[in-house]
Amino acid sequence: MSIAQKIKVLIVDDQVTSRLLLGDALQQLGFTQITVAGDGEQGAKIMNQQPHHLVISDFNMPKMDGLGLLQAVRSNPATKRAAFIMLTAQGDRALVQKAAALGANNVLAKPFTIEKMRAAIEAVFGALK
Amino acid sequence: MSADIQFRRIHVIQGEYKVTNDPEVVLSTILGSCIAACMRDPVAGVGGMNHFLLPGQGTGSGGEATRYGVHLMELLINGLLKQGARRERLEAKIIGGAKTISGFSNVGEKNAEFAHQFLSDEGIRVVGSNTGGDVGRKLEYYPVSGRARQYPLSGAETQKTVALETAPPRIVVPKPADTSIEFF
Repeated sequence: MSIAQKIKVLIVDDQVTSRLLLGDALQQLGFTQITVAGDGEQGAKIMNQQPHHLVISDFNMPKMDGLGLLQAVRSNPATKRAAFIMLTAQGDRALVQKAAALGANNVLAKPFTIEKMRAAIEAVFGALK
Repeated sequence: MSADIQFRRIHVIQGEYKVTNDPEVVLSTILGSCIAACMRDPVAGVGGMNHFLLPGQGTGSGGEATRYGVHLMELLINGLLKQGARRERLEAKIIGGAKTISGFSNVGEKNAEFAHQFLSDEGIRVVGSNTGGDVGRKLEYYPVSGRARQYPLSGAETQKTVALETAPPRIVVPKPADTSIEFF
């Protein structure tokens, strides 16, 4: 079993199309355990019930945004060590700094390539293959 | 007594989007094979337009072109939500995507298909659509009222527009700030 197959990933994005595209990209990278959530609140709920190793979350979402979810994940002892990659449609320095201060592992600007996503994940988990 | 409103015109070029809640603004653009998605929230009184062209190759799911199209749609939607729109109230009009070069792969049609698929996947209501055809369009969209008017371009204007649309670089990705951070 490859590393990618062992990692449970949670995708959090309010846009259906973005979730589909990201899920597709992750499958191409070899991930098989993928869960999706439509906003931060739902993402936090899933993480509380069933912690995932890696959270890839959009920033701009209704109910709870990506920073709120990051805070929730980091403040729960059961999930605080999960890797967290934030996605943003607007490349914004202030957001990157906030995300870094709250413990994000990486911030990727959309649209990103699959290779960029691979590099961001491998920076945390090591080579996927 | 009636007073004519002097509309302020804002031009939206390829790869851009504009959002406004100013009732005296008209968004305009010129489309060959390109598509403009016009969206508004009639309750919040805010609307906007984007303008994109996905290259002919790679418009299938998961391709770079699709990601780029999704990105421009997301920027528009995020811009609307920031100004008080609600996703479930959004309504859209899809304009453009002319088949402008005979014998060529129909890029315009693929772009229109992408836009319709995106809106259907996202559950955004399409209240108007005018795509395809042989000539380009000049489009005016009144983002607060939702009125869209289009004027057909002449054959020569269409060819000129398409030449500009397809001139390299074909994908103009808005340059994001350097957001990459690594801790490991």
